[in-house]
Formats: sequence, structure tokens, C-alpha cells
Amino acid sequence: MLFLLSACSEPDIRYDASEARIAPPVNNSLYARVNIDLKEKHFTTPLGVKVHSFGAFEVFWDGTRLGQNGIPGTPTRAEAPGTETSYYQVPDALSGLGKHVVELKGTQVHLNEMGRSVMVKPESYLGLLRRPLIDLAFVNLMAGAFLIAAFYYVFLYLNSQAKTKTTLLFALICILFFALLVMEYIKFTIDIPYTRFYWRLSLVGWLTFAIAVLIPFYFIIHFKLPRPALLTALLASVLLFIYVFNYGHYDHTAHLYSLTWWISSVLVVIYACIKKRKGSLLVLQGLLLSMLISRYMYYDFSLYIAFTIILLCILYLQTNASRQLELAHRESQLLSSRLQLELVKKNIQPHFLRNTLTSLMDWIEETPAEGVKMIKALSGEFDLMMEMSEASLVPIRQEIDLCKRHLEVMQFRKEVNYVWTEEGVDETETIPPAVLLTLVENGITHNLPTENSLRFHLQFYRADGFKHYVLDCLGKSRPAGNTSGGNGFKYVKARLTESYRDNWQFEAACYDGGWRNQIQIGL
Amino acid sequence: MNILIIEDEMRIARRLARMTAQYFEQQSAGIMLCDDLETGLKHLNQHPVNLLLLDLNLNGEDGFQVLEAMVARSFQTIIVSAYTEKAITAFAYGVLDFVPKPFDEERLFQAFGRLTAAPVLSENQLKFLAIRNSGLIRFIDVAEVTCIEAAGIYSELHLQNGTVALHDKSLDALERILPAKDFVRIHRSHIIRWAGAEKLIIGPGGKYAMQLKNGNLLPVGRSRYKALCERLKAT
Repeated sequence: MLFLLSACSEPDIRYDASEARIAPPVNNSLYARVNIDLKEKHFTTPLGVKVHSFGAFEVFWDGTRLGQNGIPGTPTRAEAPGTETSYYQVPDALSGLGKHVVELKGTQVHLNEMGRSVMVKPESYLGLLRRPLIDLAFVNLMAGAFLIAAFYYVFLYLNSQAKTKTTLLFALICILFFALLVMEYIKFTIDIPYTRFYWRLSLVGWLTFAIAVLIPFYFIIHFKLPRPALLTALLASVLLFIYVFNYGHYDHTAHLYSLTWWISSVLVVIYACIKKRKGSLLVLQGLLLSMLISRYMYYDFSLYIAFTIILLCILYLQTNASRQLELAHRESQLLSSRLQLELVKKNIQPHFLRNTLTSLMDWIEETPAEGVKMIKALSGEFDLMMEMSEASLVPIRQEIDLCKRHLEVMQFRKEVNYVWTEEGVDETETIPPAVLLTLVENGITHNLPTENSLRFHLQFYRADGFKHYVLDCLGKSRPAGNTSGGNGFKYVKARLTESYRDNWQFEAACYDGGWRNQIQIGL
Repeated sequence: MNILIIEDEMRIARRLARMTAQYFEQQSAGIMLCDDLETGLKHLNQHPVNLLLLDLNLNGEDGFQVLEAMVARSFQTIIVSAYTEKAITAFAYGVLDFVPKPFDEERLFQAFGRLTAAPVLSENQLKFLAIRNSGLIRFIDVAEVTCIEAAGIYSELHLQNGTVALHDKSLDALERILPAKDFVRIHRSHIIRWAGAEKLIIGPGGKYAMQLKNGNLLPVGRSRYKALCERLKAT
């Protein structure tokens, strides 16, 4: 608000200032003269002048010395360089309306080749002193916000499990933007000798260059544009071209940089809008708003406001992305509990129980001793199932035991001789619970026994960076066998995803002589 | 009596076979076991069958489509299944009974009893009658049926729109699965919708007849006259 008020207020002084007449230097001497015609003045506080010039010099107003900037050199003493901008108070007696002459007398030992001109601007002395305060208040506010954001996102990146590239990228953009603001306005806080004037400008230039590359790059990555490397290289080369072509024109170069990143960002975001990417419309609005602001406001500032708007847009995208992560996390938690339930349901589901109990009734009626054995097998399966019901990984031996118990129960039910064999099983390995069991269940359902016998054979080996589990069901596949595996395979895949993300493969296929299930888990 | 059992669990299949043989021991029943649908259907197409005991979930496959095809046939179907939640639907399609697993002898015999016993009032929830028509199965809403007439070993369904459809089941078999509160057997060749009955008429020569609300006159069996009289009075 303060900034807007000060930006919008009427100018309180009106004057004409002539071009500076600069005498040709002799032995690095500096003499410049500017004629000023004060036409209106709406303040009663002292008049001041702002002088932009290289060198070390004294300033005279209508022949009266106002002060000096640096110490001009003499044949015996080296020049102590002044700053590029300096401020002076004009005595009230000399600050009436009308024509005045401002003279700069001193030396300029360095940077003569730059041909830097001299500028003199009369203004309220109080205003001259107040201006940097207002500017800095606003700039520090922005800089502080982005410094915090940069730290926050770096910490977020370090502490999050899913290392999202864009988070780090955003942190980088924030810190660069912070550095840019500090660099741009450091002139108000530190006296920079004119000899180092261009250091700051080149630093600002390169910071702007980096930001101009990174902001469109961020959008390219975030909105998942094809060929990000190529697009970014293209952008960087355009910026480099601007740099080379306008070498030495610092402000102009920075302006062109800004225009470049703005246009490329707009292009990227329009593409994202066409592809209906989430949040793209908002960013497009932000970009257009930033352009409006930079067109209708004082350049130095508007650039940073525009930047701020864009960064706010990116911040929105960031929070949006972290919301997606949150949702995904909740989803995975939900999946885990759903899988737990699924596992428990496997054995207490009514259909399994009813069929088992029917067989059990028959065994008890016919041969009670066998019936008791069946009850033991069943309770053994229940025990194992309960033990592993809350785990997301169980020792492989436990899983194999579960399969064997299940086969025992099914043997009582189906009166088929089920045989379990295995080779190469590593006892230290773990596996999601009931995954092999599910494959065994499928095998029982979809394979016809040969000579009333059905064999399950489990192999384990490591190869090609994967742990391989191969479970064969050696029987005759039922002709009308449902090859998709239905809910069983869904369970297996969900369990593998839960424990190994996407670092697994699962295949199940019928082959001559049975059914083969292959699980590969990345080492 | 030819009985087919389609059940994929051998222990349960044998249990069913044993109990069935026991129940029908007087009638020299031929019992056939099939452990999957394919062989079961093959058997049905090649051999006469009077009764089918069917498990609804065979080798992980839903047996309901088979059920739809089975109920159109001349034989009665008894479902023996662990999927008790399907019972209502099964009745709607006209199965004789639904025996939930686990079952004992008593419950299975009760189902067999329905083959011969008089239908129990308001027990059957039949909603559709399946008709086989040149290889396709068509379902007729029971509400469409006005009366049913015996046609040899088949039955003719007279529908509200005036058309007649031929059902593979005998009038006896249909009587056992039709809802007894809506339909009533008035003659060995006739079942009528009770709501369509107007009055009983005693014709010349002591012949009884039922006048329907649509004006038709259908013969009434001598042995059934008394029961019909009482039911008319009650309503």
C-alpha cells in the first residue's frame, strides 16, 4: 500500500534539465555541467539533487559547493572513487524557481571507455532520502518471503520420501530470486565505488538469466511437456544470443531476458491448457496479470512484482502437487488396510467355510478320525493366517507353510492328492502375505489333476537384478479356464505394489503341462 | 429316475450321491457325477435326466448362466450351494429348492420331498419361466401367465397378450415351482391364475367347470372340486 501510494502520488516538482555538457578529460579530469530550469515546486522542505555519474568529484550548485562524492585524485594522491549515485542538499537560499547550473568537478580515473553520461535530478531532499526506505521495505518483504520459501522447500525435499524434482527446482528459483532482489537493491545499503558498478549489474544479469531459464523449465517439467531438455536448451540459447547481442546494455538485456522467459512460459502454459493440465489456466492468468503490471508500472519494481506473481502461481502448483502426494499416501494406506481385510476374509469368507464345513460333516459322519485331522489342518491354516494378517511382508517359510496347510485342507475337500515341492528357497527372504497362497488357490481351481494328483513346484533364484519366484502348477489346465485370474491376481498385484512400488513384474500363463506363475522383484 | 450331480468338490459330490441313492433306493435311481460344467452339459444333452443337483460356483465360474439354461428344461433343478445370497434369485428363476451348504441328510431329503409333495403355500418365489425357443432361452414374467394347459409331456402357457408359449416342464413339474397363492391346479390338464377365477359351475351330467373372468370355461377335476369351493368361499 505504502508503495502504491508513493508510486501514484503526483510529482511534486517540475523542471527541465539539459543534457550534461562534459568537457573532454585532461589527465583523467572530470568536468560536467547541467543546466536546470526549475518550473514548479510543491514542497517547502529543502531541495535536493541526485547525481548519477562515475568518478570522484565535488558538486556545485550555482557556484556554491554542495558536497563531494569520493575524493578526486591529485598528482600526488590517487583518486578515491565515489559511488555512481550520490545525493546533496541545496541551501534554501539557492533553491528558488528559475535557472540553475550544476557543475561536477573532479577526476574519473577508471571506466572512461564506457562513456557513461552524467545525470542530475532535483527533487525534495526528504523524498530522496525516503525513497530507498520505501523501496527497501517492499523489496525486503518479498525477499524474506522467498528466502523462507526456499528453505522450506529444501527441507521439504530433504525430508520427503518421494524426491520430487520440481520441489528442489522451486527452492532453487526462490533462492535465486532472493539473491536477485538483494543484488538489485544492495546499492541502497552499501557504498559501491563506481569502479565496481558493473560488477553488480553483471551479477544481476546472470541471476536474471538463470531465473529466465528456470521458470519456463519448471513449467516444462511440471506440465510434463515432451522433450524438456531440448526445449530448455533452445530457451537457453535464445537467452545467450540476447546476452551476446546486447553485451554491455545491462538494463536492456535484463528486460529482454524477462520478455523471453515470459513469452516461453506463456507458450508452455498454453500448451498445458490445451492438454488440460491441472492448474495451467490459473498460471496463464497469473502470467497475463504479470504482463499487465509490468506494462503499466515503473519498470524496476514491476519486474519484481511480476516475478512475485509468477512465483505465487508456482507456489500454488507446488501445494497442489503436495496435495496429490497426500492423496496418494492416503490411498496407499487405504490399500494396505483393504489388503489386510482381504487377507482375513480369505479364510473366514462364508463360501470357503461352508464348503469346508460340508466336507468336514461328511468326514465326521464317515470316518471321524479323518475328520479330526481335517479340523487340525484347518485350524493350522487359520493360525498362520492370523499370525500374518497385519504384516505387509512375511518370511517366505511362513508363506510356504500356509500354502501347505491350505493344500492339506483342500486335499480333504477335493480328495485330490496335492504335492508341494520347492527348490532354491532362500530362508532369509520375505514376501507379501498370501501371495503364493492366492496362486495356489488359482492353481487348484483352474487345473485338472492328472491321475488324481496335482503338484505345485516353487523355484527361487536371483538373476538379472531380480529375485525370481516361479510357481508351477503341474496339471492339465481346464479348457474353459479363466486366464485373467480375476480377483486373485488383483490381490497379488496390489500386494506387490504395496511392498515394492513398481519394482516388480508378475506373469501367469498356461503352458503345456500346467500353469506357470512368475514373480520378479527388483533386488 | 436319472439324477445328475454337478459339483466340483469330490467329497461333497460323493456325499450328495450317497444321500441321493439312499433317498431314491426304491426307485432304482441312476446317479451320475460331473465335476465341471462342460461334462455336465454334455451329459445332459446325451442322456435323459429327471433331476439335477447343481453347485452354483464351479471351479471359480459363476454357474448362474447354466442355471438359466437348466430351468427351461423338463427336469427339476435343486441348487446345492455355499452362495446362500443367491437363493432368492435362484427361486425367482424356478428352481425346485435351494439347499445351503453345509447340509445334512434331513435338509437334502426335504428338498427331494418337494418332487412329489403338494406345493407349500406362498413358499415359492418364482418370477420368471424360462422357455427354450430354437436354441435361445426366453424369460416370461410369471405375471403374464393367465393359465397353463397340459400338452403331452409339455405345458402350454397362455399369456395375457393372447399368445401361447410351450414350456418343457410337465404340468406336474410346473405346479411344484409356481407360487401356490397365485396359481391353482383345477384339473389334471389345467392350472389357472387364482385371481382370474370367477365361479364354479355344475354342468349337465354332474360335470364341474370353472368360469373365468374372461368368460372362458375350464373343466374342474372331481377330486379338486371341494377344495376349490372352500378356497372361493374364503376369498
